[in-house]
Amino acid sequence: MLKYVLKRIGYMIVVFFAVSFLMYCLYNLIPQDPARMELEPMKSSMKPAEYQARYEELRKEMGLDDPIVVRYARWMGLTKDLKGNMKGLLEGYFGYSRYFKQDIVEVVKEPIKNTIFINIFATLLALGITIPLGIYCAVHKGGKVDNFTQVLTIVGYSIPTYIIALVFIYVLGVLLRWFPVSGMGTPGANYTGLKYWTDRMYYLCLPLIVMTFGSLGGMTRYVRASMIDALSMDHIKTARAKGVHEKQVIYSHAWRNALLPIIGIVIGWFLGIFSGSVIIENTFGLSGMGSLYIKGLNQHDYELTLAIQMFYTVISLVGALITDLSYGLVDPRVRIDK
Amino acid sequence: MSEKKKSSLLGRLFGNRNKEIDILVEEQIQSPSKMMLDNFLHNRLGMTGLIGFFVILMIVTIVPIFMPINLGESDNTQTNVAPGLVMMKFPKELEGNVADISNGPTYGVGVDKDGKVYVWGHTKISKIIDIANIPMEIQRANIRMVAAGYDHVVAVDKDNNVYVWGNDRLGQDNIPSELVPSKIRGTKEIIQLEAGYQISGAVTADGEAYLWGNENMSDLSVHPEYQGHIKKLAITNSYYCLLLDDGSVVYGGYKSNAFSNVPATLKSDVVDIAASSDTMCGLKSDGTLVVWGNGTHGEDKPPVMSSKPVEIYGGRWHYSVLLENGDVLSWGNNSHKETEVPQSVNDAEIDTIYSSYFQNYAVTKDGRILTWGLKGYLLGTDNLGRDILTRLVHGGKTTMTVGFVAEVIALTIGVITGGLAGYFGGSVDLLIMRIAEVIGSLPFLPFALLLSAIIGSRIDVQLRMYLIMVVLGLLSWTGVCRLVRAQILAEREKEFVLAAQAMGVKEGAIIFRHILPNVMSILLVDATLAFATCMLTESSLSYLGFGISPPTPTWGNMLTGANNSIVIQQYWWQWVFVSIIFGVCTICINLVGDAIRDAVDPKSLGR
Repeated sequence: MLKYVLKRIGYMIVVFFAVSFLMYCLYNLIPQDPARMELEPMKSSMKPAEYQARYEELRKEMGLDDPIVVRYARWMGLTKDLKGNMKGLLEGYFGYSRYFKQDIVEVVKEPIKNTIFINIFATLLALGITIPLGIYCAVHKGGKVDNFTQVLTIVGYSIPTYIIALVFIYVLGVLLRWFPVSGMGTPGANYTGLKYWTDRMYYLCLPLIVMTFGSLGGMTRYVRASMIDALSMDHIKTARAKGVHEKQVIYSHAWRNALLPIIGIVIGWFLGIFSGSVIIENTFGLSGMGSLYIKGLNQHDYELTLAIQMFYTVISLVGALITDLSYGLVDPRVRIDK
Repeated sequence: MSEKKKSSLLGRLFGNRNKEIDILVEEQIQSPSKMMLDNFLHNRLGMTGLIGFFVILMIVTIVPIFMPINLGESDNTQTNVAPGLVMMKFPKELEGNVADISNGPTYGVGVDKDGKVYVWGHTKISKIIDIANIPMEIQRANIRMVAAGYDHVVAVDKDNNVYVWGNDRLGQDNIPSELVPSKIRGTKEIIQLEAGYQISGAVTADGEAYLWGNENMSDLSVHPEYQGHIKKLAITNSYYCLLLDDGSVVYGGYKSNAFSNVPATLKSDVVDIAASSDTMCGLKSDGTLVVWGNGTHGEDKPPVMSSKPVEIYGGRWHYSVLLENGDVLSWGNNSHKETEVPQSVNDAEIDTIYSSYFQNYAVTKDGRILTWGLKGYLLGTDNLGRDILTRLVHGGKTTMTVGFVAEVIALTIGVITGGLAGYFGGSVDLLIMRIAEVIGSLPFLPFALLLSAIIGSRIDVQLRMYLIMVVLGLLSWTGVCRLVRAQILAEREKEFVLAAQAMGVKEGAIIFRHILPNVMSILLVDATLAFATCMLTESSLSYLGFGISPPTPTWGNMLTGANNSIVIQQYWWQWVFVSIIFGVCTICINLVGDAIRDAVDPKSLGR
């Protein structure tokens, strides 16, 4: 087991460096010149020759003319940077955001808090609905509720999130006027304490509903399918024949077996808490990781987007590892140290 | 016996024939592929999905051929028009009793001989302004002439009082004091009433012209030397020209522009004048037509006519003339069929024509009203005045093409890499699976956004579209690769592979000709579902503004402007139709995918 974990982590590190190098190269493909951008405001106050000299000096200072591998190593924190410090991704320094004029760690702080806050609620809500719903549908297969849910879930996972968002905004926000359609709190209200939280939750209602609805489809179907598989196993028949109470058959005998295929998805969801939905945040004007990423791209703040991208990558790598390991932990039959 | 046969025939008719065949016969005639097909055909949801998908596919592939799209098209008078073909639906009461008809960009106004005013078409100009709200005093007055501008209507009653309703914020209601009812009541007899974009003008019986309205960008003052000699007035969007009683045409204002140089041939013998939005036209007594101004839609090139034109009328970018032999001819812009004069008009005896914007109304001598031109938009227009129906079918074509090509790329890469990894195993497998892991661990949407940003918007729209397809394809092959690998790992241990190897079949042939067909069915399911996903991804990218960029329509970028509450609420047609057709399309594809899965894997039928 330990050997397997170490091997997986080894692979993961290799993949991480490969991805990060790929990403770094990609970002360098974008036609941009930080030195010229830095100098642009002072251009009018300088003579052309002076400007050219200063420009070349700056390029050297920024190390823009070095080979890409050297720059990558510097950015990663593998070698000393031009000032002689070990300051890179591995040392926990994510870079400097040109648009926000702050270190990226500072820029990301608030959005990531918001994203985690929103996503915890969305995930809990979605899991809280989909798992019981999936179990119910599997147990009452072919019934009215099941058929209705089947149709609803197919709609849910077929339609893109932003269309679901538009429909919900129209019905709940515009027609019924129950919820505000955009933002994260009453503008200019400056509430504190409990009032702040209730106000915030009120504003987050609509995005949460949309996120929940959007994720209902896939998960409910998955839970239902694996639950039906579990219920058709022989030991369920045995348990029923023994006269075990039906509730115990479902929740103890069948559900535990149905859990195995689901666990990977559930873990994936919990890791997704950090990433934030680009579309939802963009549509509802929430300041989270997704909208920050879009802002970075739109404002050509590539150091920021690169950092966010690396963050996403690490999460998905760790996620894959945890999922694989958890299979082994939950199900002793899965022998992962093969 | 015969009774039994009959029932079996009935049974056959109602599809219950399997009962008659004993189990052995049935086993023999059902090959696996036939069973799959049978299973699929008997899946009602799946068949509905398939039919629905084919209908949409037909719509987006065939309709665009008949509905060409002009990507540069935009018209500020046709923005945010509600769906419906009501623009020329004049009330029946008007027929046989017409005193005057005029129309604005999306609505029509008419007066009958009893002085009653009628309004039809899309009268809501903005949230507040609605032309259909005719003020009480106008309803009571005995109106005899009307003229409609972009967002205002002027009217004159029998006592020569001038009224304005609609938008009056830009000076549309600054009626000159000479024409104001309270001051000189009835002294100036008005013989002609005209309206431009946001300006209006009137000609009185004693040869004077008065113009008023939005002064920006227009030239509304009249040279005093012409006053007293004016016979007729023609108004473009913001400028005007005058026909004087000596038969000459003059530009009456002070500014110099494209209209102020009236062609020399129009110094005499002119019998009629008219104006489109950007040109003016004079008709000489010998039938020659002279057009000047900024003709951009072909309205400056009158066609050869069968007989002498006697009267001329101007629309937005087209002119209509009444010929001496009673025929009617139109030329100029034909994007809304405003120059296609119906045969019924040429057959009838035409008394007069009312033509403006994209509509033409011809009144026959016996009082019937015949129309041609823009009826309206079936699905409304967007914020640039483009027809949503046209963009919908063309957008569907783009979205489906992108989804399909991306899917084909992903499938090709996935099948080849998966096949190699699965069959050879070992270091090939390790390498390919690591690469797949790297690609798969890139967060999809952010990474696609990044690649799209790198591609940039500087390159050609068409090339950008191809690059987006490639990007989507390159990012989504890992799923197929894993699937094929896993399937092949399972298949390659089977006896038939051993047999093929023993017979000396080449390895490539074993993978692609012996093993792959066995994987095909499951691959088909995956491909169907992934096609929907690719379409979703493309549309999400376009929705965020990183996919295919406007003006090329896709179902995604048609919804880009929709996430604000004004559009969602007031201009619902701009997002509802796209959402519906896109939603139905992806639902259909997913239904088909599910049905194929059920058909392929009988075990899953239980689910």
